[in-house]
Amino acid sequence: MTQPPNGFDPNDPIGTWRAWRDASLDAWAKSLTAMVNTETFSQAIGAQLDALLAVSGPVQQAVQQYMERYLAQAQLPSRNEVVTLASRLTNIEFRLDDMQAQLDELTSLLRQLAANGGLAPTDASLIGSRLSAIEEQLTALAAARPAARNRKTTSEDKE
Amino acid sequence: MTSSDAAPIDLERMTEQLLKEIERATKSSDMAARIATNRIRVAVGQTPKEQIWALNKMRLYHYYPMVPPEQRKPVPLLLVFALINRPYIFDLRPGNSFVEYMLRHGYEVYLLDWGTPGPEDANYDFEDFSLKFLPRAIRAMKRHSGKQEFSMLGWCIGATIVTIYAAMRPDDGLRNLILLTAPIDFSDKEGSTFSRWLNTEYYNVDELVRQFGNVPAAVIEYGNKMLKPVENYIGTYLKLWDNLDNPAVVEAWLAMNTWVTDNVDFPGAAFRQWVVEFFRENRLMENKLMMEGRVVDLANIKANLLNVIADKDHIVPNCQSRSIMDRVSSKDKKLIELKGGHIGIMVGSGASKRAWPQIEAWLSERSN
Repeated sequence: MTQPPNGFDPNDPIGTWRAWRDASLDAWAKSLTAMVNTETFSQAIGAQLDALLAVSGPVQQAVQQYMERYLAQAQLPSRNEVVTLASRLTNIEFRLDDMQAQLDELTSLLRQLAANGGLAPTDASLIGSRLSAIEEQLTALAAARPAARNRKTTSEDKE
Repeated sequence: MTSSDAAPIDLERMTEQLLKEIERATKSSDMAARIATNRIRVAVGQTPKEQIWALNKMRLYHYYPMVPPEQRKPVPLLLVFALINRPYIFDLRPGNSFVEYMLRHGYEVYLLDWGTPGPEDANYDFEDFSLKFLPRAIRAMKRHSGKQEFSMLGWCIGATIVTIYAAMRPDDGLRNLILLTAPIDFSDKEGSTFSRWLNTEYYNVDELVRQFGNVPAAVIEYGNKMLKPVENYIGTYLKLWDNLDNPAVVEAWLAMNTWVTDNVDFPGAAFRQWVVEFFRENRLMENKLMMEGRVVDLANIKANLLNVIADKDHIVPNCQSRSIMDRVSSKDKKLIELKGGHIGIMVGSGASKRAWPQIEAWLSERSN
């Protein structure tokens, strides 16, 4: 269909309406984008945040106090205790990761040494098997943490 | 408009147009119903990969190569995205995937996923992400690839993180550094809407972080969308409505919408640091950002540098990304400005014609 140069076609009311809609939205978009980039709007965003925080602060505090009492009576760990535990687990994971890296480095050095004839093959094999045993223990330790489990994926993890 | 410009009324043509619209609406209604009832889903992040490392919430993935060993580039490439969105934007859909493109060109591609922070991660800041977590991921990548030298691409806040790493670990094997729409220089307080919002004394970031720990993804998403409210709250849905009879457009829209709405919380300490030390005080550019007891000095960056900026970036305006070029010590550095927006340059329809080939060509010359 050929459109008149000014875009208005009385025989295509829907198309004309669509063109008008897009032009209106474009104008709206420009003016609102300019509006959000003003000092006044920045104040409004700040006030909005303050209002949210003013409501959520006391509510959160009340819920936290109630839950802590309830969980303590039910002999269950509180949120803070679980968070502390999670932090400690993360620290252990970091140390494991560093140990794994050092182990890999050592293994690599030993292999190089053995390859260069600097170590008798039997010695290298003995050290290698001891390192493997350490590695197995580390792997078992890491496997005890679900978050550290390696798994193959072909799609994105959703948490 | 004058009445003489208008075409004469033609009832036959008008009826024809209306019938076309009715036909289109009929076709569209089925698709609209499927979307509304959540019966249509698009798969994202589909390029085959394996997880080779995990630490806390972080995951490091290695994508399976697509070319024979003799055609592969010897320098692996690590992709690092921002903290507030999911990194599968690098691999959005088959055929619209930067990862797939680089694999086809022979790169060993690794992707770091920061994961979703829990309450126990609220105290992690940029020093942790740049100098504690990222180096460990790099160590794992080196171990897996067997290579000591590597290339790294950071996008958005991910670019800030890799920049800090490059400045603080200049001898760690980083050969090529690629920054995509990198927020580095916040000296122009009028330069971006975020600068206006966050620089104001009205924005109580301390109380926000104190109450919530991690800043909820919904707050971040709201902020991002309010930068262009009409486009984000109305325009995008109208675009979908107009194209409901076109399955290819619908699929692309759904994939992008999946990513846009799939946000993660911003770790509290990092968010506070982002607002105060980066946006308000511009410490990185003013050589005042301290990490590990030292100043993060951009002059320490020696790696080859490609800085990619987008001409219509309303999230990270160009003024925040350009000036790093004058601060680094890299002998080989290049700035390219591409058509598009903050995300659009890498996933829009023109990405495979403009951004990807230019990045690949630059990297290819420096990956042998």
